[in-house]
Amino acid sequence: MTKNPIVNGKLVCVALNDSEQFNAMQAEFAEAPYKGAPTQPVLYFKPHNTWSTDGAVVEWAEGADSMVVGASLAVVFGKECCRVSQAEALDYVEGYTLVHDFSLVEQNYYRPDIKGKCLDTTAPIGAEVVSIADPQALTVITSVNGTVVNETPVSQLVRGVAELISTISYIMTLQPGDVIAVGFPGQRAPVAKGDKVSSVIDGVTKLNNVLGN
Amino acid sequence: MKHARVLFNGSTLDVTVEEDGQLKSKTDGQLINEADVTWLSPIAEPGTIFALGLNYADHAAELAFAPPTEPLVFLKGANTLTGHKENAYRPDNIEFQHYECELVAVIGKEGKNISREDAMDYISGYTVCNDFAIRDYLENYYRPNLRVKSRDSLCPIGPWLIDKDDVGDISDLKLTTHVNGELTQEGTTADIIFDLPFLVEYLSKIMTLKPGDMIATGTPKGLKDMQPGDTVVCEIEKVGALVTNIVSEQEFYGDKY
Repeated sequence: MTKNPIVNGKLVCVALNDSEQFNAMQAEFAEAPYKGAPTQPVLYFKPHNTWSTDGAVVEWAEGADSMVVGASLAVVFGKECCRVSQAEALDYVEGYTLVHDFSLVEQNYYRPDIKGKCLDTTAPIGAEVVSIADPQALTVITSVNGTVVNETPVSQLVRGVAELISTISYIMTLQPGDVIAVGFPGQRAPVAKGDKVSSVIDGVTKLNNVLGN
Repeated sequence: MKHARVLFNGSTLDVTVEEDGQLKSKTDGQLINEADVTWLSPIAEPGTIFALGLNYADHAAELAFAPPTEPLVFLKGANTLTGHKENAYRPDNIEFQHYECELVAVIGKEGKNISREDAMDYISGYTVCNDFAIRDYLENYYRPNLRVKSRDSLCPIGPWLIDKDDVGDISDLKLTTHVNGELTQEGTTADIIFDLPFLVEYLSKIMTLKPGDMIATGTPKGLKDMQPGDTVVCEIEKVGALVTNIVSEQEFYGDKY
């Protein structure tokens, strides 16, 4: 396991934030067990055993037939952020990076997905924290073995960067070294043992990982 | 031995709690009166905080849930932790906030794929937490969601970490909660559905457990709403009694409100 130099507190991830997925799931949201679409951001933690780095080999889940990956723009906090408005939210950001979320196939969203999302080394975080004037203008592109599998503009997210920072800061105070991964593609990409996964925000930053065996 | 962390004269101090209740500095042996300190979370570097939902048969029935066939585990952020005798807040404009008195086991040694038989070797000791929940904020997504369970100050913990061997058998410890002196929750760890060795085996099969990780093992029945001004005492036999004062959101956040 590799200690990540960027995140040292909380890694908060936002699920169901791709508007294509969110809209496509409306009928499913209406049924049990959900009985209604989410009214708030759907959040989960990737705990410290999951954190790894750019270039890291991501452990294949013991006994798993399949795994998936999604990439997200990630906000890194530079100062304490407690109960901030959307208008001031970006002032608390030190910079941005990328996060890969490797997991088991997402079956449903009813209960916290500890089995699927908390596997060792499955949250590589980029090596650099970069300044960006307008995070909403970025696009995250992910390739598996050189073939593009996802291309998600940040503007496609149901809730944007400033809104998420504000909402989350009213639930939990964010500290320097905390990270929010703002949204993953609804269609997570299947990966196999030994696959090379590369994500890039053009001209800004990139993140490369390999699946173990 | 009981290990605590306190603020004393502006610095964080590691202390032991003596038989007479006095605190003894681990640095220089100085004896300190409890009245002169602010209690902090006893875990200096909190790792992953696991908490169990519906892990007491009587509580599951109270919430009209069938007992789970697999542990319902959720994670909490370290922002939730606060010390003994500190404030926890009630959010504005909600209907129901309840306490949850829970036995917490603290991991003392890193491990993966730990068997039930070896599980207790990985526990360093125990403490008490009050895993508050805001029922109004429940939604059926990653339930219980972070908005319910990961709020600032809403997991008081302490007063201390007591060594595992000082507690001994944890299979029938009495738990009580008193609100403003009135007994409101009473149970025993004998009603736990998934016991600690099971949970260590279960979690470590998924992921590596590390020192500072904590497992809050769930709460028995006896839910009651809390209001600012209330004092809640969660007590577990042989472990400790954790006192929390409920304040309003405005009082808690002060200038940041």
